[in-house]
Amino acid sequence: MTAALHLSSITHRHPGADQPTLADIDLEVQDGEMIAVLGPSGSGKTTLLRVAAGLERPMSGDVLLDGTSVLDVPPERRDLTVMFQKPHLFPHLSVLDNVAFADRLRRRSRTESRAAAQRYLDLVQLGDLGRRRPRQLSGGQEQRVALARALAASRRVMLLDEPFSALDTNLRTSMHQLLGEVRAALDPTIVIVTHDLDEAGLAERVAVLIEGRIEQVDTIQALYTAPKTLAIARLVGGFNEVTGTVESGVHHSSLGSLVLPAVADVKGSAILLVRKERLGLVDAEASATGRVVKVRQSGPHQDVVVELDRAPADRRARVEVEVRLGTTLRPGDRTGVQLPGPDGLWAVDHPVVEDASQISHATSEPAIFDSTTRGRG
Amino acid sequence: MRWRTAHQPRLTVIRALLVFWLVVPLTPLVLWAGASRWSGTVRLPQDFGFRGWQEALDAGVIAALVRSGLLGVAVALIATPLGVMAGRALGWRLLCRPALPSVVLLAPVVLAPFAVAMGLDVVILRLGIPGEIAVVLVLSVFALPYTTFTMRATYLGLDPDLEEQARVLGASARQARRRVTLPAATTGLATATGLAFLVGWSDYAVTLLIGGGQIVTAPMLIGSAAAGSGNDALSSTLAISASLPPLVALAVFTYAASRRRTAAHS
Amino acid sequence: MTQHPTSSPRSRGDRRATRQLGGARLVAPAVLLILAVTGTALGAVVATSLGLLPLVGQPRLNIDGFTTLAGDLRAATQESLLTATTATLLAAAIGLAIATIVVRAGGGVRLVIGLTVAVMTVPHLVGAAGTGLLLSDVGLAQRWSGISAASWPELVGGRWPWATVLELAWKESAFVALVVFASVGRHYADLREVAAVLGAAPRAQWRRVLLPLAAPALASSSLIVFVYSLGTYEVARLLGRAYPEPLPVMAYRLFTDIDVAARPQAAATAVIATGLALLAAVMALPLLRRLGAGR
Repeated sequence: MTAALHLSSITHRHPGADQPTLADIDLEVQDGEMIAVLGPSGSGKTTLLRVAAGLERPMSGDVLLDGTSVLDVPPERRDLTVMFQKPHLFPHLSVLDNVAFADRLRRRSRTESRAAAQRYLDLVQLGDLGRRRPRQLSGGQEQRVALARALAASRRVMLLDEPFSALDTNLRTSMHQLLGEVRAALDPTIVIVTHDLDEAGLAERVAVLIEGRIEQVDTIQALYTAPKTLAIARLVGGFNEVTGTVESGVHHSSLGSLVLPAVADVKGSAILLVRKERLGLVDAEASATGRVVKVRQSGPHQDVVVELDRAPADRRARVEVEVRLGTTLRPGDRTGVQLPGPDGLWAVDHPVVEDASQISHATSEPAIFDSTTRGRG
Repeated sequence: MRWRTAHQPRLTVIRALLVFWLVVPLTPLVLWAGASRWSGTVRLPQDFGFRGWQEALDAGVIAALVRSGLLGVAVALIATPLGVMAGRALGWRLLCRPALPSVVLLAPVVLAPFAVAMGLDVVILRLGIPGEIAVVLVLSVFALPYTTFTMRATYLGLDPDLEEQARVLGASARQARRRVTLPAATTGLATATGLAFLVGWSDYAVTLLIGGGQIVTAPMLIGSAAAGSGNDALSSTLAISASLPPLVALAVFTYAASRRRTAAHS
Repeated sequence: MTQHPTSSPRSRGDRRATRQLGGARLVAPAVLLILAVTGTALGAVVATSLGLLPLVGQPRLNIDGFTTLAGDLRAATQESLLTATTATLLAAAIGLAIATIVVRAGGGVRLVIGLTVAVMTVPHLVGAAGTGLLLSDVGLAQRWSGISAASWPELVGGRWPWATVLELAWKESAFVALVVFASVGRHYADLREVAAVLGAAPRAQWRRVLLPLAAPALASSSLIVFVYSLGTYEVARLLGRAYPEPLPVMAYRLFTDIDVAARPQAAATAVIATGLALLAAVMALPLLRRLGAGR
């Protein structure tokens, strides 16, 4: 089946930059699907969107809509639309006329355009505010109008560039809900660019973009359980990293010898990844024991940092355990760490580097860190 | 490559026409200033030389330029500080009812300079105030809308809380102003000062009306040369002399501003 | 915006009151200077036009200043209005064109910006001198056009104030361009992209986004150009014809006339010119407010 949007081998470099912003990107979006492009700042996500929209021209590669190349088609004639990070509502038009803008360009009568626009405004629950001016709206309301305006353009593909990142948490959550309702009502094809994991989780598939390259395209669940590289794991966050070696599917480290799941295809030097939720604290003798270093509040839960006993003398090994039901442990207490079975373990290839200061930004150049996890190293 | 709408040749033509429009009235001046002989029907001067410049010097252009400069400085000295203060009050919304002062501050834009000069001339004759002072006062009044609203726009872009922040760190009101606010406002200040200076530098009608021909600034020289003598080379060199200093100042300022900007970014 | 430390309503109110008193003190010098100078001057002009401030003799309230030269006044008013209207329309159109080019920030735009700013710094008198040398019947335009001097149209000092209008339009188009660009400039880049991804071709972008965005600045700068053109002396003096002359030229001529009876007439001319300008401003005010020019 032809993809609704296909970005084919897109390479792009900003003038004056020595690294390419986008390196050989290949991405297909199917009709009615929502795909998220997840990446840290500076990874090139916004540039990717702008190339797709026609606001920037790539150095090489092609952009195809329903199989036809639109590389030489200006943005106004491509069958897609963009919703930017800032609402950018037209100050000289009312809210309703803002939403009706695309329709009016198609030479529909003012009455018809406004009637159609009203329906979209109702969809974003701002039906009463049609006569207001943009300056009279709050930030959240402005973004909703911008969403309605993009929807009213009725394009084949809708591109969203971190549309809710400027809003506070509660507002963002309600916008996520709204997006879900919009998808149920209109079944649009959406590409959403974000650095927020929960937002990415709204999509069927997530493409992880790191330093201009797509490193993994998978469901959000797979990113949590089976990230392909250390950089992806650090982007997702919440993983314990434990260095060691793998032989015949068993990872040997200061946590012990642990059997990896069969699909984790790694050999030799590798980093064991254990999510902090999958570890538990036990009083009794456990396969790993250690001393509590720190107890940190993390939202409604607590993260307990434990320094393991069985670490070799020249390397510390610490793990972070997420405790859900509260803990009475204090720094200095001894505790056992309960490890999960193979289904709770993962590992990524990782050549050994002696000096921890050799930190480089390219994903193929790893380094060993103290295994505390907290987002990116 | 940045997005550019499909190359539109129409725009290039329009751009060329606009450049032509902006340049063309000045072209005869440049040509005449370099001509020592240019008879009535020929397209370009027959001889190039400095005759016009010599005549300008003889006519007293240097002294006239100095007087114009002094006038410009005097107007700037009055209109800029007053404009800064008023602009601060308007831009930082320090007035509960800004409408009335705003109207007054804008009013000189609507008035004709010659009418105001005429009226003031009548008054100063009776009061014995020297003409120069009256000229400076009138021109300052006409420069005030420009300085005020330039500084208003500048202050709109400045955060008033920054001065408060300086105060709680121990600065006095004056120190806070001088060390925090004004440095951030240099571009606006320079623009406002430049505008005020230009009002004084370029004026003809007010100087003529109140001065009665006795205050000889550069525009006065141009006026008499252009209107009377028919000496085109002279009026051209005088015109160019009067145009160059502000242009040079503008070029220097632009260069300094762009240097400061690249330094800030590096 | 930095957060204010929480403070009691009373201290916040005190601070606002102090701020506003400070505000009044800041505005006072400028406002007082303007009121003093213009009030005195305009008062004197009106009084002189009504015969209350004669050079010699006793003050006597009369309207001779207005009535004696009523016919000339009418012709001068017409000439002034014609010049101002045409110059304003031309300056607005060309100024908008310049702003459009500049705002699109394509190649070669630096030259246009530089020239526009340079034109703004050049005095009107210089422009008038240059325009005269350009458009006169032995001017540069005539020599380069191939048309004989005898058949060259009377652009300088002719029946229609071509040269005056063109010079005013020339310099004021730079003014309009800069005012419009200053008010629109930064916002337009983003709004233009939004318009494009919603389907607006370049012409639609101009008509539906740039033009409405520029309208307030265009209107207010046009008003300023109109009023300025009504009251300008030097350009019409150099480039216009002797009769009918625009109001400012007529006023100056009468003011410097040896005949003392001409004084009130000069003042009357000035009163009419000022009245016209004020009338134009007042009439334009509702339009400006509707366009949101205050912002």
